[in-house]
Amino acid sequence: MSDLKSRLVNCFQTVFPDLPDDQVELASQGNLAKWDSIAGITLVNVLEEEFQIQIDFDRLADLDSFAKVLDYVRQTLPATS
Amino acid sequence: MNITEALRILRAAPHDAPEFRVLLACGFTPLHLQTLLGAHLQRALPGHHVSVSTGLFGDLAGALRLATDDSVHAIAVALEWADLDPRLDLREAHYWGPSSSSDVVATAAAALRRLESAICALPHGTRIGACLPTLLLPPLFHAPGWQHAEHELELDAHLMSFTLALARRDGLRLVNARRLALRSPASLRHDARTHLQLGLPYSIAHADAVAELLAHSLIPASPRKGLITDLDDTLWHGIVGEVGAAAVSWDLSSHQVVHGLYQTMLNALADEGVLLGIASKNSPEIAAAALERADLRLAMEKVHPVEINWNRKSESVRRILGAWNIGAESAVFVDDSPLELAEVKAAFPAIECLQFPRNNPGAAIALLHRMRDLFGRDRVSDEDRLRALSIKSGGEFNAEFAAAGTDPQDFLASLDAHITIEIDPDPADARTLELINKTNQFNLNGRRYVDAEWRALAARHGSWVAVISYRDKFGPLGKIAVLQGLFTAGELKVESWVMSCRAFARQIEFRCLEFLFSHFSAQKMQLAFSPTERNSPIRDFLSGICVTQSDSPHTLTRDEFARACPELYDEVTLTGRRENV
Repeated sequence: MSDLKSRLVNCFQTVFPDLPDDQVELASQGNLAKWDSIAGITLVNVLEEEFQIQIDFDRLADLDSFAKVLDYVRQTLPATS
Repeated sequence: MNITEALRILRAAPHDAPEFRVLLACGFTPLHLQTLLGAHLQRALPGHHVSVSTGLFGDLAGALRLATDDSVHAIAVALEWADLDPRLDLREAHYWGPSSSSDVVATAAAALRRLESAICALPHGTRIGACLPTLLLPPLFHAPGWQHAEHELELDAHLMSFTLALARRDGLRLVNARRLALRSPASLRHDARTHLQLGLPYSIAHADAVAELLAHSLIPASPRKGLITDLDDTLWHGIVGEVGAAAVSWDLSSHQVVHGLYQTMLNALADEGVLLGIASKNSPEIAAAALERADLRLAMEKVHPVEINWNRKSESVRRILGAWNIGAESAVFVDDSPLELAEVKAAFPAIECLQFPRNNPGAAIALLHRMRDLFGRDRVSDEDRLRALSIKSGGEFNAEFAAAGTDPQDFLASLDAHITIEIDPDPADARTLELINKTNQFNLNGRRYVDAEWRALAARHGSWVAVISYRDKFGPLGKIAVLQGLFTAGELKVESWVMSCRAFARQIEFRCLEFLFSHFSAQKMQLAFSPTERNSPIRDFLSGICVTQSDSPHTLTRDEFARACPELYDEVTLTGRRENV
């Protein structure tokens, strides 16, 4: 697992502590009941703290799965570093 | 603390521990504040599982109405301008202008009155922490921002009246706005991005500061009981053994007034009931000459014991703590020497060591503020002052008790001891819960209670509480013991029993049990004893009187007790609601 992906898994498990290890990368708003709008904002806060990035709130609705969040962070990180 | 750290603290909370339920009443989306408040409270209450709930967003008074029963243990109120009038909310303001300014003030005043009524309707003694508006007012009034607009002053006046009314309420603590300003500068408080897009007005750093101070308001640290101070370059400037008693200084003219301020602070702490002692490496005669100077701001009769010698500081500290009969975790040691501080800290890891700074007035004043934080309390009671006085008289008692040798009965008979037993005192009496929560040595099981838990215990069918006060020829000790339990269907249970270490060796523990047997006409009682790291005094006492040591809870029969109980010489007075029961 890449370092970036591993850090993202940690972020998800911080916000969703009940999420089993093997389910983290499959998580999405569709299959994770606890991923509501409030949890989504908390996830954004944790991502901003972990990766020292500022997430565009207009993109929040699109960031509805682990895979999409991973893509977003991958795209954002080089631009901010 | 950031959100990630807060979530980890909350995640690690012991989920099988007793719950501490907090209502966060605030008009804005509470997300960050809720998470951070929960984490700060969880840190302060490691033996509890903290849960923070919220009411409806935008309805602060409505949220408070949710808490009018015992469903929550504490309430945190985070008030913002937007709660007082929608025109003060950057997300909702549709019209500003001269014609609306007076109406904004009037609407805000009415909102504050409603809020005050909602708080007054909460159960008496409810633990409340409140934070008044922390954000800048929107620029709606006509005056330039560098100038106080008349309407803004009127708003402040209404807010101050509201604040004063709250400050008089038992159980309510207000976050100090000036301390918050140090912790969270005004310009860094508002996060316009998250506020306007998500409804979260506070930056995370500001939410953390508000949460931390609200948590302090709800779960204040126990005030320290005693302070041990060095003399040279601490209580005064200079080395008295080198320059002489007349040349050490602490006044303005010598430019050493920070030492004078330190003396003023110590004198004030002593008047508030804090124990003061001196530990100094010096020649006793030379140091005594300086301590006798008429311009000393600290009245020396308030200081006991005074340890001036050439021994290690930790030895002096050990003797002082022994005379006070308190643990190192309840004491503070102040010295200018890092070496001495380290030596004492090595011997007593739990003691708070503070360095008196040299040639740094700003740091010296910061030290005074730190001392106020360590010793600060909501209010100073007669009990607090009595405690300090009784430590000194306790020394005289101990000397005579020791002189009585192995048969102290004659001495005890000569004490002219009076015990007052108050049955079922007001559950909101702070001293009762303070004794329960701060007594370590003579403590039946070490159980601690938050005030709502204590009120719930007292409200059960068959519940009883007895508070013991004591005085003898050496002076009053004040309220020194609390017993609490149940008496139902002829069964007497003691669930909590604490006694101040100041009251040891007076046979008060025997009187407590004798009273229970006779008051309830019981033939036996159950004592919910549980060993803790520090309750060996009560364990040893129970070992001396209980026959069935392996039982849990211990059972003590009236006959067993009668065989073990010595002759008691005190005079007992009963007071309280069940006086005639």
